[in-house]
Amino acid sequence: MPYSNTVIDPNPMLVAENLTKSFTSGQLSTRVLDDLSVEIGAGALTLISGPSGCGKSTLLSILSGLQAPDHGRVLALSESLQAMDAKRVEAFRLHHTGFVFQGFNLFPALTAREQVQLPLQYMRLSAQEITRRADEALAEMGMAHRQHLRPAALSGGEKQRVAIARALAKAPALLFADEPTSALDAANGQIVIDLLHRIARNHGTTVLCVSHDPRLISHADRVLTMEDGRILDDSDRGAR
Amino acid sequence: MMVSLARKTLLHEWRRFLPAMLAVSFATLLQLLQAALVLGIFGGAAVYVSDSNADLWVGYPGTQSVDQGRPIDGDIASLLEMNPQIESVEPFYLLDGDWRGGHGTGGVSVFVSGVSTRPGAMMFARVLTPALRARLAYPESVIVDPADLNKLGVQVGDTASVNGHLVRVVGTARGLRALGGADIVTSLQTARMLDPAPSDSGGPTYLVARLRHPAAASSVVADINGHSGFGRYQAWTAPAFARLSVLFWLFNTGAGAGVLFLAVIVFVVGAIITSQALMAAVAASVNEYATLNALGVGKRSLRWVVLEQAFWVGACGVVLASVLAALLIWLAHSNNVPVAMQPSVAAACLGLVMALVAVSGLMAMRSMQRADPATLLR
Ligand SMILES: Nc1ncnc2c1ncn2[C@@H]1O[C@H](COP(=O)(O)OP(=O)(O)OP(=O)(O)O)[C@@H](O)[C@H]1O
Ligand SMILES: [Mg+2]
Repeated sequence: MPYSNTVIDPNPMLVAENLTKSFTSGQLSTRVLDDLSVEIGAGALTLISGPSGCGKSTLLSILSGLQAPDHGRVLALSESLQAMDAKRVEAFRLHHTGFVFQGFNLFPALTAREQVQLPLQYMRLSAQEITRRADEALAEMGMAHRQHLRPAALSGGEKQRVAIARALAKAPALLFADEPTSALDAANGQIVIDLLHRIARNHGTTVLCVSHDPRLISHADRVLTMEDGRILDDSDRGAR
Repeated sequence: MMVSLARKTLLHEWRRFLPAMLAVSFATLLQLLQAALVLGIFGGAAVYVSDSNADLWVGYPGTQSVDQGRPIDGDIASLLEMNPQIESVEPFYLLDGDWRGGHGTGGVSVFVSGVSTRPGAMMFARVLTPALRARLAYPESVIVDPADLNKLGVQVGDTASVNGHLVRVVGTARGLRALGGADIVTSLQTARMLDPAPSDSGGPTYLVARLRHPAAASSVVADINGHSGFGRYQAWTAPAFARLSVLFWLFNTGAGAGVLFLAVIVFVVGAIITSQALMAAVAASVNEYATLNALGVGKRSLRWVVLEQAFWVGACGVVLASVLAALLIWLAHSNNVPVAMQPSVAAACLGLVMALVAVSGLMAMRSMQRADPATLLR
């Protein structure tokens, strides 16, 4: 067996079955994901690591419904993403997923508080509920005192914490992060990975994080090591 | 308390939207000023109607513009007087004249208006003071627009000749300028004397009438046009006849086509500039929009943001341009430049510009296609 799944989760939040994905550029076709299967459980921070170009980001985007695989399927919260049309996938993302990206992608015109409130407005929540959730998420990220500042007035680490608050306020079951620390210095990277870990613990969220930063490995509950479109190694620390 | 991404972005990054707003302003200003000039210049075709306070005009059937009138039977006046709705009737003579002033101006073709000199007469009631009108009672007296004095080569008090007959300029009144040529106003008697080829009947060119209830003008017109047997004539309400005259000149001279042409150019150029600026604004935040889409905010909602931005850009541009246009039109008016504006025409111009804005918004919406969240994962 190329890898051993040491945890048998009776009810995995995220299941990938035989995912295959190729990209063609010109005559050349490269297989980025090669018959990859994996199960990811709730309440833990799972880290995907591996060399550059091995398909980590591609896997994350397929697992989160941003891209479709060529073959195979994804079961997210026991629902098959491949069975949904584009609209339903969008609705699924709205209600169940949060994202954190390498670039913070905050609107320059909005204050930290407004950045967090904005996606909530599309979830048909009451005004009080929006305010409550936004303020709670910002407080949890330690950004309550900076909530009236625009991105231009925030440091990199603060911006990423606002971006995490924006994802967290939706109370998603699944939280995806692609290289959330690579634009940050070591200290801020530590803070961010700690926060992601705490979200997994305290909210029971399934946090899936892609990074090639080896310093993050010690913070993860489980580390999947990828190479050439496959998972080479799966180490579960059982730290839950 | 809802966060409006469109408005916040507009306020915060107003510099980015400034070109679009200026483009909209410029388009609005051009359309409004063009319309004001056209209305002002071609409104000259209807000075006889718009400077008078008659409710009803009766003239030769099929007349396409006031200046194209032909003599009608003077007996029609008695038909009009029989109508209980009509308060008073007054004849109006309009004929061509060849003016010879002093000072080597050569011949100038003029329109000679023969009007009643009775106090309270309807013709040119809006430009002739009672005293001025009374002066016309002296034979061979004429009144001209002060702006035409140079062209006619005279001063007040000078004599000149029209169609070979002697006339004397007894005063000036602003607002008599006609399209091509000059208007001179005189009494009914003098006008008949100046007519080089008096028609057999000696009838007036028009009969104008005042109604007891001006609001009933359309039904009285229908009533009068329904009669027959009193000779050939046609009746119009004053506004309808004025509009008929303006439109005749607008399209007869090709100016109408020019106006439409310029309007289309302004529309297209304005739409291109505005949509480009909106697209640039989307492009600048494409990653942020893609992030919202990743978080499940639908593409449709995101496109609305662009449309809302377009709307605000348009609204600001239109307001700015309207203020400027009002100022410029007032300035032109006080400098004798022929300009005029009507609420309906102004509304049409603004409507056209908002259509431009809507088209730009729809074009710019397509750039939201590039906000693909998969590109954020690399
Ligand atoms: N849209 C695309 N079109 C063509 N090729 C692509 C596309 N997306 C990814 N690839 C290719 O797929 C391979 C894997 O890309 P991926 O982004 O998943 O790598 P990664 O593991 O995240 O690398 P890194 O650590 O550098 O971010 C790369 O060789 C990349 O060039
Ligand atoms: Mg990557």
